[in-house]
Amino acid sequence: MRAFTTLTIAVVASSALAAQQAQPAGRGQGAAPAVASAPAPTRDITGVWMMRNPPGSNRAWTNFTFTDPKLDPPVLTAWGQARFKEAKDSNGGNYRLDETNDPVLTKCYPPGVPRVYFHPYPFEVVHTPKVTLLIYEYDHTMRRVFTDGRKLVPDELDPLWMGHSVGRWDGNDFVVETVGFNEKTWLDRLGHAHSEQLKVTERFRRVDRDHLELDITMEDPMALAKPWKTTFYYELRPQWELGEISCSGDYLDWSAVEARQPK
Amino acid sequence: MKRTCVFIAGVVLALASSSQPLVGHHGGAAYDQTKSVTFEGTVTEMQFANPHVLVYWDVKDGEAAGQKWSGWLTAPNKLSRAGWNRKTLNPGDKIVVTGTPHKDGSHVLQIRKLVGPDGNALPLSEN
Repeated sequence: MRAFTTLTIAVVASSALAAQQAQPAGRGQGAAPAVASAPAPTRDITGVWMMRNPPGSNRAWTNFTFTDPKLDPPVLTAWGQARFKEAKDSNGGNYRLDETNDPVLTKCYPPGVPRVYFHPYPFEVVHTPKVTLLIYEYDHTMRRVFTDGRKLVPDELDPLWMGHSVGRWDGNDFVVETVGFNEKTWLDRLGHAHSEQLKVTERFRRVDRDHLELDITMEDPMALAKPWKTTFYYELRPQWELGEISCSGDYLDWSAVEARQPK
Repeated sequence: MKRTCVFIAGVVLALASSSQPLVGHHGGAAYDQTKSVTFEGTVTEMQFANPHVLVYWDVKDGEAAGQKWSGWLTAPNKLSRAGWNRKTLNPGDKIVVTGTPHKDGSHVLQIRKLVGPDGNALPLSEN
């Protein structure tokens, strides 16, 4: 019994306390609030945005995949299924860090699109006359979304980690189409694969000044038998500045987190 | 022993009823998500670095007195936005740490709550 004075097995008195103590990563802590703000400005999504859980949902899977894995999983091709079986995820809680083959957690590969949105850090949007910059805090990841009217021809593009993007305004929505990916990244944190034929369409819909909804559609005839769709939710953070997170050097040294410690 | 079982059962029930996701950023597979342990200790070091802020402490007293433990928090950027800086915890500070223990008994915690030297719980997320 004396052990309890030093190593106390704490009784968590209520689920509310448990919720307070938990530190969920992924899409923020708690559902997107329903409180509306001032109206959205016209054709402007400038600012620092932080993810929220979908309205009414704190479900754990939102931290690592796009739709409920049990109720609404993606429809994969045979190729997509075979690749998914090879995946050993860590973010979903299925494998330890010394077991996973997650390309981000083992090699510091750039996360790709749309996986970049699972990193639990904000992103910033900067509009310029001919290009909109999407700047993600995680690993200084930046996407250049060209708005100069250029057309992308997938066969002619050098495959990139984050793809080649063009954007346009559709009413007050900013629509981004991205192609020209390499196939080294995962779509999500569970290990769903994609090919170089992946096309991602993002529709940024600023519902009011402080709230942004992002519809994401993934199409890939090699990996997905049907398009995979989801919506992410964000809040404006006017006081925040992006910091530095560099996946390099000892970033992947997990020994302090997972390796065996002296007892 | 009987009392221990009751305590653990309570923890399991409480955590199972929580609607919050309990999986950490880099996966909680190495940690026993059904348990929660609490220590009083003295800080020996804090590493305010990516990808996770690390806190090291010596256990204060009792059977584990003198044992060296560590725990990990979220990323420094997130803690900075919650008001932390690299001097928020310093060697010699008295802390009370609650967290999820490693499955293999290693002296490392996924920290869930951290009470600082002034007796107040420190914010562990920027949200």
